[in-house]
Amino acid sequence: MKKIWIALLVFAVISVIAALCLGRYPIHPGEVLCLLLAKLGLTNWLPGAVEEKSIVFWNIRFPRVILSFVVGAGISVAGCIFQALFRNPLAAPDILGVSAGACFGAALAMMVFPQFVLGIHGMAFGVGTFAVFLAFTLASRSPSQSAAVLVLAGIVVAALFQAGLSLLMYLANPYDQLARIVFWIMGSFQVASWDKVQVVVPVLVSCMLLVVAFGWRLNILSQEDEEALALGVDVKKWRVFYVIISTLLVASSVSAVGTISWLGLIIPHISRFLVGSEQRRLMAVSAILGGSLMLLMDTCARSLFESEIPISIVTSLIGAPFLAYLVLSRKGGGLGSDRPN
Amino acid sequence: MDWEVTVQINNLTAGYGGQPVLYDIHLQVGEGRIVGLLGPNGSGKTTLMRCINSIIKPLQGEVQVRGQNVNKLDRMHIARLVSLVPQKTSAVFSYSCEDMIIMGMTPRLNLWSKPGRAAHARARQVCEEIGIADLLEHSFNQLSGGQQQLVLLARALLQNTPVMLLDEPTSHLDFSNQHRVLGLMLGMARSRGVTSIITLHDPNLALYYCDEVVILKEGRIIAGGQSRQVMNTSNLCQAFGENIEVDSTGKGLRVVVPRTIAVS
Repeated sequence: MKKIWIALLVFAVISVIAALCLGRYPIHPGEVLCLLLAKLGLTNWLPGAVEEKSIVFWNIRFPRVILSFVVGAGISVAGCIFQALFRNPLAAPDILGVSAGACFGAALAMMVFPQFVLGIHGMAFGVGTFAVFLAFTLASRSPSQSAAVLVLAGIVVAALFQAGLSLLMYLANPYDQLARIVFWIMGSFQVASWDKVQVVVPVLVSCMLLVVAFGWRLNILSQEDEEALALGVDVKKWRVFYVIISTLLVASSVSAVGTISWLGLIIPHISRFLVGSEQRRLMAVSAILGGSLMLLMDTCARSLFESEIPISIVTSLIGAPFLAYLVLSRKGGGLGSDRPN
Repeated sequence: MDWEVTVQINNLTAGYGGQPVLYDIHLQVGEGRIVGLLGPNGSGKTTLMRCINSIIKPLQGEVQVRGQNVNKLDRMHIARLVSLVPQKTSAVFSYSCEDMIIMGMTPRLNLWSKPGRAAHARARQVCEEIGIADLLEHSFNQLSGGQQQLVLLARALLQNTPVMLLDEPTSHLDFSNQHRVLGLMLGMARSRGVTSIITLHDPNLALYYCDEVVILKEGRIIAGGQSRQVMNTSNLCQAFGENIEVDSTGKGLRVVVPRTIAVS
């Protein structure tokens, strides 16, 4: 176990260094070190070339690296929560319609007040959380209080917002609005800034700390409802708590950078393979691994071609084949298994 | 304080979606007693257990454990009084047996904490008591049905409650383990005063291990009391049909057998 933690931390450090150095303006690791030391006041000397790069480094690349690491970590932790909560290894963080709601909200804002950037993020967050609230209200009217009903309600709500989004895209001006909506839906960290870091990072980090602190109960919630009740866990109350936290995680991320597909589904599986199903351990590992992989994928998205590729294209291209590999490599063990037999 | 009556059920009617499945149940279970619930499929045994554990709320009447109405207690409080060994569990994620067993500590933990070293040591001790210490590192999902039942029993034992509910705890166990588990419950009842309420399909096990037996049919108690008195041909025929008989062996041991075998 100790070896796995060390390997993860090394991987995270390498990912951060790679993300800081690579890009359209490559910066040598030595130069990165100079910039960091200068910022900390440990040196006054900066080579001329490095001084030029410092604007790119501090204003664009550094906030982008922080945002992509924390968003990747948040979405991965939300994936762990949803998979445990709904006892479904195929559950993704947007299962209750949060992403569909956020996309609809953002698209609506882009059409109604396209210049008001904060309004777009606010609408994405507001409609995303409203979608989950709607799913909850719908499920609470069912006589059955099982998690499956909530998932069904989420599918219904997501479908409705998806239909609304399609309608907006149909009505959007194809020369400017449509392209903007499509690019936003596919997600990108191109929009990263210190303002976004200041708004999004505190929310995501506090949510993650909270779920890891209360993580033990998630183990119990991943058992059948009757067993969880017999073990002293108020299933209804704790389910609401975890859904609120994970909705905050996903809605904050999606409203800041758009949709990020696959990550919340595959990272919990890789982490489960590494450290087993105990949820506190699993969420901590998923946060580090999800953040690091998000960084590497974003580095690919902005470095591979002349123009930047939307992040969801990269996550889907890597995530889908990886899930296929996971399914095929299990000899007798289900997807929820921690290790292959 | 002396808890003579541990579980008291008064005038209980309960069911699902407003439709009763159990009707007017009265039952008193003393401390350290083993009570067997017998009855054909669909007679209401599991529903009665769910009522004792407050998983479902009664339509009428009440269930008291150690003098407290369970429907007025929060889940954590109930879990300190009553533990459950389910017949089986469909664990989607493969926890290690140690992780599964340690979940039994949950009612003793505060909001922020997780089980510490003492809990792990206690879990190991419980596993040694029931002979599954070698399974601790194994993945729960890869165990046989019988081994899983033993792990679930260990989890309930770690919960350390005065009342244990066991839903067909022997259904997946081999002959030897059936008697080992019920012998263990008998030991717990005698040495620690643990009250066990056990649903069983094999009347012979009820005859050998239970102090009292309650026979249910179509949601009503048709007979209840000391197992020797209740386990007679008439009551069992009423519950399971005519093809059953309580016979004696040459050594004076009573056995329940199908009538076709008893005649031959």
